[in-house]
Amino acid sequence: MTCRKVRKLIPLAAGGDLSPRRARAVRAHLDACPACRAELEDLQTALAGFKAAARAEKVIDWSEGEWKALMARVAAGARADERAPVRAPRPMLLPRWAAASVIGAFLGLAVLGALFRGPSPRPDAAAIAGGALIAAGTGAQDTLTMTLVSPDTGLQVVWILDKNFDWKGDRQ
Amino acid sequence: MVLSGRTEAFEPLVTPYRGPLIALASRLTRNREEALEVAQEALFRAFRSLASFDVSRSFRNWLFQIAANEARDRYRRARRERAAFEDAAGRAESATTGLSETTGSAFADPEAGQDRRELRADIMRSLAALSPREREVFVLRDIEELDIRETSRVLGCSSLSVRVHLSSARRKLREAIRRDYPHLEVGR
Repeated sequence: MTCRKVRKLIPLAAGGDLSPRRARAVRAHLDACPACRAELEDLQTALAGFKAAARAEKVIDWSEGEWKALMARVAAGARADERAPVRAPRPMLLPRWAAASVIGAFLGLAVLGALFRGPSPRPDAAAIAGGALIAAGTGAQDTLTMTLVSPDTGLQVVWILDKNFDWKGDRQ
Repeated sequence: MVLSGRTEAFEPLVTPYRGPLIALASRLTRNREEALEVAQEALFRAFRSLASFDVSRSFRNWLFQIAANEARDRYRRARRERAAFEDAAGRAESATTGLSETTGSAFADPEAGQDRRELRADIMRSLAALSPREREVFVLRDIEELDIRETSRVLGCSSLSVRVHLSSARRKLREAIRRDYPHLEVGR
């Protein structure tokens, strides 16, 4: 192993962080190379000084009161989480287009149902006497008949429409 | 017990790690207030996440992992805020060159702030020469004395990444000590 390669590995060798195989190779080189060995010892000394400084460093801490208060807050937070009401699952919301489709289909069925509900009851005499517009379906499902009765003249006008509201004709 | 929901059991569980936790936070942030907040948030998060704790792991290292994540998140937020501030200040063409260097996280500047002076030994200032990742790796491996595997697990990175950053950190610190603290080499 060359000096150049060993010096790249010295930072890891200084902390014993090389794999066993590499550590053996580096050790073999160091035994024969005083310059690299000095480099390693130099770094180890610096690291030792750094660790000593870290141990001597005055580290901040909570006071006992602050620590107790912190633990109380942690516990209170946990209790609050436990007390939090369990939310009912949100109802599944349909997308707007789906809701519009459902409403449209419903309205369409209602209109078709009203238009093609089959023959309606015969207009009663009182209604005819008072004059009224009476919608009276025919027997056919695909036609609609509307009858207008005049209370003065007794004239009856009947409109016959197909399912597409196309004019089919009239009779009196 | 605490895993089964006994909140009063949490305090005795974490008390032995109170010192190491806050020491780690202060070494990662180099800022007193930030360190206290990081350690506090780590405790809150630890309590909330206890159910997910793998009992085969070291509880201390698990706490360290949470604290390191919190410190990193704060650093990134501070960096984004600083960038936004500098951007806004640049648009306003105000002279903020000096100001931008004194705002944000202590990662960027260990000199600012009266409180910081309380928590640093002189030599520990050298940590400011490291990148955030180098500092995390160095603090966990060389000061907290986790092994490479545990360090990589705490930081969520590969062992190779830990070795690369550790090597770089040791080299930088060696240079910083040689430059700023030559008296430490007297006893060599």
